[in-house]
Amino acid sequence: MKEFRIDPEPRGLVQLIRLSGSLDMYSFPRLEAQLNAFFQQGRYYVVLDCQELDYVGSAGLGALIGFAKQAREHNGDVRLLNVPDRIYKIIELLGFTKVLRVHNTEEDAVASFATR
Amino acid sequence: MDSPDNIRRKESTHKLLLQAPGHGSYLAHIRVIVGDLARKVGFDEDAAAKIEMAVDEACSNVVKHAYSPDKEWCWQHRDPEIRLDVRTEGSRLVVEINDHGQRFDFANYRPVDIEDRLREMKRNGYGIFIMRNFMDEVQYNSNDQTGNTLRMVKYLKKA
Repeated sequence: MKEFRIDPEPRGLVQLIRLSGSLDMYSFPRLEAQLNAFFQQGRYYVVLDCQELDYVGSAGLGALIGFAKQAREHNGDVRLLNVPDRIYKIIELLGFTKVLRVHNTEEDAVASFATR
Repeated sequence: MDSPDNIRRKESTHKLLLQAPGHGSYLAHIRVIVGDLARKVGFDEDAAAKIEMAVDEACSNVVKHAYSPDKEWCWQHRDPEIRLDVRTEGSRLVVEINDHGQRFDFANYRPVDIEDRLREMKRNGYGIFIMRNFMDEVQYNSNDQTGNTLRMVKYLKKA
């Protein structure tokens, strides 16, 4: 079982954050604190790289759409990258992919903000 | 007296009893153990992932709501614990999750419209929807002696 980790790697104006481990009701306050810190600095372009994520619960998913909504109010967004198949199937089934944008490459995800 | 064949059959019953502190740091351990048992008894990866998530949502609710420090305790003389009884009964997996925290008014709970919540990008209110959609049966019972028990069942679909 991997420990939950958050590793920010800024890409210009876009905040790329690599996540690993489990995003559940216990761990999501840490991501919440990180995203709140970015938003307080006016950084609303966020990409979450989920490649090393092994679980996302509804608390994590709810927090993600809440932050995406907040970012969109400031012309930004929270987008997902490299979502493992196992997690993608679940979030698609629940309908979260209708409101969260998902990218397959880092280039696409970062560039998607440049076209705004 | 049981014949050796009967004894072997009894031994093949899958059963797991788990007692964990009612704390969020144990949620990952609980769902991984239950998910592994689901795979072991024959659920495919998709079904096991659903069982894992349903169990995680149920246990998260216990930690967040039943044992919430903001609510009046009815278990003040106990440690906040989550007890799980996971077993196979024929072709189904039964998961019973027990706590002694604040009871939940399951009978008067009105199901949320998931489409509306997603459209409005609401943060909360997905847990029970997930349990009811990912498991085949979900029942909740509460009494002063035995505490609160959520029983969820998932049927093993034959190929």
